[in-house]
Amino acid sequence: MTEHKYGFLIDASRCIDCRACLVACSVQNDVPMEHTRIWINETGVVGEFPDLKRYSAPFHCMHCIDPSCVSACTVGALQQNEEGIVVYDNERCIGCRYCMYACPFEVPNFEWDKQLSLIVKCDLCVSRLEEGGEPACAATCPTDAIQFGSREDMLNLAHARIEAEPDRYIDHVYGEHENGGTSTFYISPVPFEELGFPAAQGEESPAHFNRLVTHGTPTVAAGVAIGMTGIYLAIERQGKDNKIAEEEAHHDEEE
Amino acid sequence: MTKTISRRDFIKLGAASAGALAVGQMLPPRIAKAALQSGYINAEGNGVIPTTCEMCVWRCGVLAKVENGRVVKLDGNPAHPHSKGKLCPRGQSGLMNTYDPNRVLTPLVRVGKRGEGLFREASWDEALDIVASNMTRIKEKYGPEAMIFSSTHNLSQPLFENLLYGYGSPNYGTQRSLCFNSMITAFLLTYGIEEPSRHYENVEYIIMVGRNMMEAISTSETSELSHAIDRGAKLVYLDPRFTKTAAKADEWIPIRPGTDSAFLLAMIHVIVTEELTDCDFVRKYMTGCDDIVDVMSEYTPEWAESKTGVPATTIDRIAREYAAVKHNALIHPGWRTSNFINSFQTERAIATLNALSGNVLKPNGCLVAQNPEASGVPLGKPPQPPYPRISALRLDGVPWKYPLVPLKLGVFQELRDAIITGDPYQAHGWFISRQNPVMSIPDRDKTLEAFGKMDFIVTVDIIPNDTAWFSDVILPEASYLERYDPVIAVEGKIFLRQPVIEPLGEAKSALWIYKQLGERLGLGDYFQYEDEEDYIRYQLAPLGLSFEELKKEGYLVPDIEPPSDEIVFNTPSGKIEVYSETLANSGFSPWPTWDEPPQPTKGKFYLLTGKVAQSTQFGTQNNLLLHKYSNEPRLWLNKKVAETEGLKDGDWVEVSSEVGKVNVQLLVTEGIRPDCVYMTPGNGHISKGLTTAYGFGANESVLHVTYTDPISGSQALTQTFVSVKKIADAPAQTKKPLYSGE
Repeated sequence: MTEHKYGFLIDASRCIDCRACLVACSVQNDVPMEHTRIWINETGVVGEFPDLKRYSAPFHCMHCIDPSCVSACTVGALQQNEEGIVVYDNERCIGCRYCMYACPFEVPNFEWDKQLSLIVKCDLCVSRLEEGGEPACAATCPTDAIQFGSREDMLNLAHARIEAEPDRYIDHVYGEHENGGTSTFYISPVPFEELGFPAAQGEESPAHFNRLVTHGTPTVAAGVAIGMTGIYLAIERQGKDNKIAEEEAHHDEEE
Repeated sequence: MTKTISRRDFIKLGAASAGALAVGQMLPPRIAKAALQSGYINAEGNGVIPTTCEMCVWRCGVLAKVENGRVVKLDGNPAHPHSKGKLCPRGQSGLMNTYDPNRVLTPLVRVGKRGEGLFREASWDEALDIVASNMTRIKEKYGPEAMIFSSTHNLSQPLFENLLYGYGSPNYGTQRSLCFNSMITAFLLTYGIEEPSRHYENVEYIIMVGRNMMEAISTSETSELSHAIDRGAKLVYLDPRFTKTAAKADEWIPIRPGTDSAFLLAMIHVIVTEELTDCDFVRKYMTGCDDIVDVMSEYTPEWAESKTGVPATTIDRIAREYAAVKHNALIHPGWRTSNFINSFQTERAIATLNALSGNVLKPNGCLVAQNPEASGVPLGKPPQPPYPRISALRLDGVPWKYPLVPLKLGVFQELRDAIITGDPYQAHGWFISRQNPVMSIPDRDKTLEAFGKMDFIVTVDIIPNDTAWFSDVILPEASYLERYDPVIAVEGKIFLRQPVIEPLGEAKSALWIYKQLGERLGLGDYFQYEDEEDYIRYQLAPLGLSFEELKKEGYLVPDIEPPSDEIVFNTPSGKIEVYSETLANSGFSPWPTWDEPPQPTKGKFYLLTGKVAQSTQFGTQNNLLLHKYSNEPRLWLNKKVAETEGLKDGDWVEVSSEVGKVNVQLLVTEGIRPDCVYMTPGNGHISKGLTTAYGFGANESVLHVTYTDPISGSQALTQTFVSVKKIADAPAQTKKPLYSGE
């Protein structure tokens, strides 16, 4: 039984876009220089001089309650562990990229430049948790824009903060219901689409569609071809094909 | 909506990236002997060692995680008052300075022409002999004053000063006149201390004058400001640019550059005229009480509006809001404020307003007239003889041209005219440690011209920075993760920087390098310690503290009398000198006063400098991790101006001042005043030895015109006006952009 033990609360009103979290993540996880597991979503400077605003928030794997990537992974490289963390095993990954297309939050990165390409994504700094610490991003955040704790506490804190300062935040905890709910909660002074957050596909996880196809598909490489065709059909229904084409076109240009 | 660093940017990055290396693929490890002996790491080289960051001068406490003798992660030390468990992006990236693929790992001696970058490796003995023989030759032939020594604000500075003053030169170049001379001089004259402490526990109202705390990060102070805002403190922020601090302010005031002092003088006017302050308190502790109302009478909010462009009603309201919260108000002294020749007056006005609010006297008041680093801890040192008497004039004009500039600050930018003209005498050698004056002093061409006059230049650094590139000898220093430095006291605690790994290659600590050189120069009596640990034992001796304990914890709390709550102002009158006889006697205004700054002529812009959170001055741009997560360097231009001028975001432009020109790519934004442009600082390195930073972006010092404040010696960095002209295409040598965004 999965517990969904941990959670993040990320507050866009506190984030100063210093990127200490980005650097910390890269070091902690030995992420190659051209890749990242975490990035900044931001509004940019908006408004007209001098009535301006800008907000930002770091963005990484949301650690969904029912992760679509896991359901799309036909080789079991992506799994949800007993504590609810979506973990990745690079030994199993065959680089099919279906998790990228399946993820409604557009999280997994792909090492386009490598022969044996792998996925790059947050695993909640599992090794730090084992030592009793926090994920590197939350531990270093100078303004406590990223906080880490039990999922329940973080969700309660998100609502408490909105309730205490209704003028400071919009009344929306992003990640609570989006795509079936996640373990990462955001609060913000501006609507999340202004911050560049992906719009939710619904309140149900898209994992459901993937499972319709993958159910019964053996999780071995031999079964991948069949699985991929089926999953593609499932994902196409989610209307994401344009984005994929765009990224692939871009990749071709680079080559 | 824009994404500064989106996943897609990373996907695009591919071949444009600086290298496919991850931190873990760097140079081979050597386990730190001291840490092993002390038992903080095991025989396999695994463990966690407390030490002190050196990615800026804030000096956060760090817990360095070491695996197999390699630093794999740095975390903030929860026990350290400057980090409180946190580190900024520079602190997080610190191990990449150590593992920089361009590290200098053996002494290097120049074989090609200066600036050509051709060096041969040398042994330490040979390199030190070359340095010592050149320094001896210069001293014998021209006198010790013909050697210039420059280094800034680091923990080994006392030993650097031993080398400088023991050798007998008066020529001490620090970077402080490019940074906070105006703040330090103003607070020395007004409060009798260099830099007041700030406290945010009770603050209700904060005014920051160009102190971009969210980008020029001082970890604990940035945290404290952020938390103060979270609990409802009001932040008023004056800056011509919409920085990330402006974005967190309750009120952003895009004031005209160089006019902050007009804004502040009008605040003083309102407060003293309306008697919005505790008069008994002010009378007891401040000079000039009887006259201040008259002296400030001309500085009305209406007058200030005509100078600043800020409505008089706004200034009047802010003065009243500020006064209303009394000692829970704070006007931050900043580092460089607006960087005009009148910045000293801005700082004097800041000191006065803090005094008027009464916050300076409260124990734990928001601004306390007590230096955060001078916490009354009596550290020892090895015995040493007095310095020889130095009679030669200083080439930077202190004090004969700049009577009020403290000797240990100096006026760095003024050295060059003396070097180039040979007046009052010719300098022949330059010893530089942990500095990059080629990049940092205004008017780079002039700096390089001055370098051309030198017979001998030696630089101590960990990477071949631009100054090292133009040097005759480069001495490789151990990085801050590889060496000891003298200990420091912060807020009553003693903190240690200690090696967490052995130095890479042949790199050595400054304590070792200075001692070796001192002995070769016949100055061994100034370096009477066996090694780094011996020096620190001397420091700890008067406190009776255990060095082993210090190594284990990274800090110790000495058992000393807590400083008394009574605050003594170390000024001639013993009071806060809003009216200063010292200034009057030197021929300057004894009161905080208005000094009209120049304005750009039609078609020209104020050139603003600033800070980004991912770099420190000119020293960190070669750090791959910071490069990875920095925005591409750009020139900010107001959107409406760009439309009028037919310029588009991403266009390449030539920016020119009266001393130089550079090519940069435009960033068109609403976030800047129409009469200003701002250039991302710290880029445009010219050392080809820096494979990441070389040729990336442009150097603002090429454009900066040298203007020195006659009172504080501060360089007026924003007093440079530039024109902007579209050029056809990207310059051929320019690297591919990485990221965009404000």
